[in-house]
Amino acid sequence: MPRYLVERTFDGGLQIPVSAEGAGICLNVVGTNADLGVTWVHSYVSEDKTKTFCVYDGPSPEAIRQAASRNGLPVDRITRVSVLDPYFYQ
Amino acid sequence: MGLLERDPFLTELSRRLQEGTAGKGSLVLVAGEAGVGKTALIQAFSRTVDGTARLLIGACDPLSTPRPLGPLVDIAAEVGGELDRLLATGEHRHRAFRTFLELLQHPDQPVLVVIEDVHWADEATLDLLRFLGRRIASTRALVVTTHRDDEVGPQHPLRVVLGDLATAPAIRRITLPPLSAAAVGVLAQGSGLDPVALYRQTNGNPFFVTEVLAGDGDGIPPTVRDAVLARLARLSPAARALLDVAAVIGTSVEAALLVAAAGAEEDAVEECLGKGMLRAEVRGYAFRHEMVREAILAELTPQRRMALHRAVLGALRGSEPGPDDLARLAHHAEEAGDRAAVLAYAPAAARQATRLQAHRAAAAQYARALRFAERLDPVERAALLEARAFACYLLGELDAAIQARDEALAIWRRQGNRLKEGENLRWLSRLSWRRGYRSDAERFAQAALEVLERLPPGPQLAMAYSSQAQLRMLAFDADEAIAWGERAIALAEQYEDTETLIHALNNVGTARLVVGDERGHALLERSLQLALEADSEDDVARALSNLGTVAMGMYQVELADRYLTEALAYCIDRDLDANLFCGLGTLTVIRLRQGRWAEAAETAGQVMRRPGISPITYAEVLTALGCLRVRRGDPEVDSALDRALELAASVGELQELGPVYAARAEAAWLAGDLTRAAAEARAAYGLALRCREPWLVGELAYWQMRAGEPPADIPDWIAEPFALQLQGNGQAAADAWYRLGCPYEQARALAESDDPAALRQALDICAQLGARPLAAFATRRLREMGARRIPRGPRPSTRVNAAQLTQRELEIAQLLAAGLRNAEIAERLYLSRKTVEHHVSAVLAKLDATTRTEAAARAAALGIVAPI
Repeated sequence: MPRYLVERTFDGGLQIPVSAEGAGICLNVVGTNADLGVTWVHSYVSEDKTKTFCVYDGPSPEAIRQAASRNGLPVDRITRVSVLDPYFYQ
Repeated sequence: MGLLERDPFLTELSRRLQEGTAGKGSLVLVAGEAGVGKTALIQAFSRTVDGTARLLIGACDPLSTPRPLGPLVDIAAEVGGELDRLLATGEHRHRAFRTFLELLQHPDQPVLVVIEDVHWADEATLDLLRFLGRRIASTRALVVTTHRDDEVGPQHPLRVVLGDLATAPAIRRITLPPLSAAAVGVLAQGSGLDPVALYRQTNGNPFFVTEVLAGDGDGIPPTVRDAVLARLARLSPAARALLDVAAVIGTSVEAALLVAAAGAEEDAVEECLGKGMLRAEVRGYAFRHEMVREAILAELTPQRRMALHRAVLGALRGSEPGPDDLARLAHHAEEAGDRAAVLAYAPAAARQATRLQAHRAAAAQYARALRFAERLDPVERAALLEARAFACYLLGELDAAIQARDEALAIWRRQGNRLKEGENLRWLSRLSWRRGYRSDAERFAQAALEVLERLPPGPQLAMAYSSQAQLRMLAFDADEAIAWGERAIALAEQYEDTETLIHALNNVGTARLVVGDERGHALLERSLQLALEADSEDDVARALSNLGTVAMGMYQVELADRYLTEALAYCIDRDLDANLFCGLGTLTVIRLRQGRWAEAAETAGQVMRRPGISPITYAEVLTALGCLRVRRGDPEVDSALDRALELAASVGELQELGPVYAARAEAAWLAGDLTRAAAEARAAYGLALRCREPWLVGELAYWQMRAGEPPADIPDWIAEPFALQLQGNGQAAADAWYRLGCPYEQARALAESDDPAALRQALDICAQLGARPLAAFATRRLREMGARRIPRGPRPSTRVNAAQLTQRELEIAQLLAAGLRNAEIAERLYLSRKTVEHHVSAVLAKLDATTRTEAAARAAALGIVAPI
C-alpha cells in the first residue's frame, strides 16, 4: 500500500479539543477513511497550527482526496513517499 | 415438534415479508451445507404464511443442462397471464423479466417467491436473480433463494452474481449453521443412542442426525451416505427399483412419468411413501431429501444408469413433451447414449434456449450434439458448428466461437461451397477483431471479400463490406470506411438484412462524424432506432456509445454527457455489465474535460476495480487518470501514463495513442521538460495527420508549439480552439473553450495571455478546480509582469461557502467550531466582545442554528470549517 504525505493549510488554525469530543472527531475521520481503504498514520502540526503534514497509507492519490473531502479537510499537496530511516543503512 | 434453533431465522423472514408488504421488498439468500435444513426452513416459513401471502415456487434442475429459466417457467405456469404468454412466444426475455417485476411491485396480496437450489441455476436464471436483486427494494415481495454454499467455489457462476449484488440494497445472506450439541441431544432423547457420539459423528448436520435416528438404532453409521444406504437396504426390491428410476428422473418426479418409466405397481409407490423415501407433491413426488437421491445415483453402475435413462427417455417421449422438456430430453438422450435422440433433441433444446436469450445453455446443447455428430453428414455438422459459434459469440466466448468457425470453414472448403466459405471467413474476421487479433481480422476480411465478390451479391457480401467498413473506420480511414459502408448499406437494404444494416449505418455514421461530417449523425441515429426496434441490445449500446465517444472526441462535452447518460441507463436497465463499464470509461474522460474532477476520479476507480476490462477501456481510463493527476499536481503520473501507453500501443489505434501521447506531452511540459514534451507530441503527430483527425492534430501541434518546436506542417483544418492558440490568440481560444464547457483548457489558454486580468481569471478557475501546477505557472507569470496582489492559491474558505458567510464570519465560525468562547475569539482577532457577539449571531442565523454546537456541526457538514 503506497504511503503519501499530505500538506494542509488551516487559515484559522487547527483546533482539536482535548476531550471526548475531540477523540470522537478523530475516530470519525478514521471510520470515514476506512470505507475508502485509507489509513491515517499520524500528522505533524506546525507551531502556529496553520500547517499540517499528514502521513497516510492508501490505494491511490484519488482515494486520499476523496477521504479528505468526506472529512471536510483541505488538501494543498500530495506527495508519494517511502520511509527512510537513519539506521536503515547500518 | 418445530424446527430446533431456527426461530431467529423464521422471525427474520417474517419481518422481511411484512416489510415487503409495506413496500420495502428484499431478497434473502439462504446458504448452508447440504442437509443443514434449508428446504425445511423454507417449508416451515411457507406454512406460517399460508393463506396470508401468495406463494410462488420455482425449482432449479440438477441437470448438466438445466431448463433455461426453469424456475420462472414454473412460476409463470402458476401465474398464467402475460408472463406465461411472454415466455411461450419468442419475445425478448427482458419483457418477461419486467412483467415479473411489475407483478412483484403491484401484487394483490403479500408475495413470497421461493427459488431453491440456485447453485444449479442456469445462466438465464442467474441473470434473473441479478435483475431482481438490483431492483427488489422497490417491490412488495420477499424473494427467498437457497443454495449449497459448499458447492459454490470461487469460479462458480453464482459467485459472480453474488459479487454483483454485493452493493445492492435490500439483499441479505443467511447462513444456516448446523445444530448444536444440545439440539442433537434433544433429538436423540429416547433413541438409545449416545448424544455425544451422535453429535461428534454427524457434526450437527440435521439430515444426517435424522437419518441415523430413523434407522435401526444399531450404531451410528460413519457417513451420511452409509446412513441413507442403510435405510434403503430395508426396502423391497420393487420399491428400490422404483427409487432408482425416480433418482434418474430428477428432484421433481411426475407421477405419470414415474409409472410409465418404472412400470411400477401401486404397492411399490406406497411403500416408498410410507417409509419416507418419497413424499407426495403437487405435481407428483419428490425425494425427502436431495442427498437420498444423490446416494442412490452414486450406487448405480454405468450400465444400469444408461438403461434407466433409456427407460425415462422412452417414457418422456411418450408423454407428449413440450418445448420446456427439450433440455431434459437432450440430457436423458446423452446419458442413455442414444445418438439419434441426442441429434434430434439437443439442437431443438438449443433453439429453445436461444429464444430465451439463454446463450450458455444453447452453446452447451450444440456442444452436446457435436459430441455425437462424428458420423453425421458434413453439411449438417457444419450447420451445428455455425450455430454453436453464434451462441458462443453472443456469450462472449470468442475463442470457442473461433474454433467452431474454423472447423465449419474447413468443411465448407472441402464441400466446395464458396458462399458458406465466404460467410464463415467474414465471421472469423469479426470474431478476431473482437478478440483483439487485429491482423487476423484484416486477413480474414480480405479473404472473405475475395471469395464473395466472385459470386452473385447477397447478404453475406453485404456483411463482408460492413466488416471492411468497420476496420477502416477504426483505422480512421474515413474515405475507405464510407465507401465500403455505403456499398454494405445498399446491399443490406436490397436484401432486407436488418442486422447488417444496423452494423453498416453505425460504421459509416461514426466514420463521417469523426472527420467532422455532420451527416454522420442521422446515420448513427437511424442505426440506433433500428437496433431499439429489433431489441438488439449490443447494437443499441454500441450506437449510443459511439455517439457519445465521437462527441467527446470533439470536446462537445454537453452532448457527450447526454449520450453517455442515455447509454449507461440502457446498460443498467438491461444488465449489460460489460458495455456499462466501457461506457463508464468514456464518462471518465467526459468528466475530466468538464472539470468535474472528483467525479472523474470516482468513475475511474469503478472501472479499474472491475476485472476483465478490455485493454481499450483500460487505456482510456489510465490516460484520463494520468491527466487528472498531472493537472492536480498529484503523484503517480508516470505509472499511469506509462501503462496507458503500453496498452494503447498493443491495440495500435489513434483513438488510444493520440490522447495518451497528448497527456504525456502535457505532463512533460508541466514538469518543465520541454524537449520531452515535444518528443511525446511528435510521436503520434504523423499518425494523426494521416487520419485527418482535427482535434488530435490540433492538440499535438499545440504541445509542440508550447515546447518551442512547432511542426512545419500544420494543416488549416485543425480544430478551432487549438488553431486560435497556435495563432497566439489566447483570449479567443479561451472563449471557445468556455463555450465548449472545458474549464481547464480555458484556464490554460488564459494563462498564456500577457494580460494580468486574464491571468487572474485563470487563477480563479485553477482555484476552483484545484489545478495547482497551472496555478503556479500563472502566478509566476504574474510575478514576472510585476503585478501586485497575487492571490495565494486555493483555500478552503474560497472553495466552499455554501452559507454565504463573509470572510470575517468564516474566521469566527472556525474559532467557534473549535470551541472558543466569545471572549477568547475577541482576544484572538483583536476585536471587541460586542463585535464578536454581533458576528456570532449572524453566523448562527446564516447557518440556521440555535446553539453554538449546532452551528459547529452545520459548518462542518457544509465543509466550511475543518472539523479537526
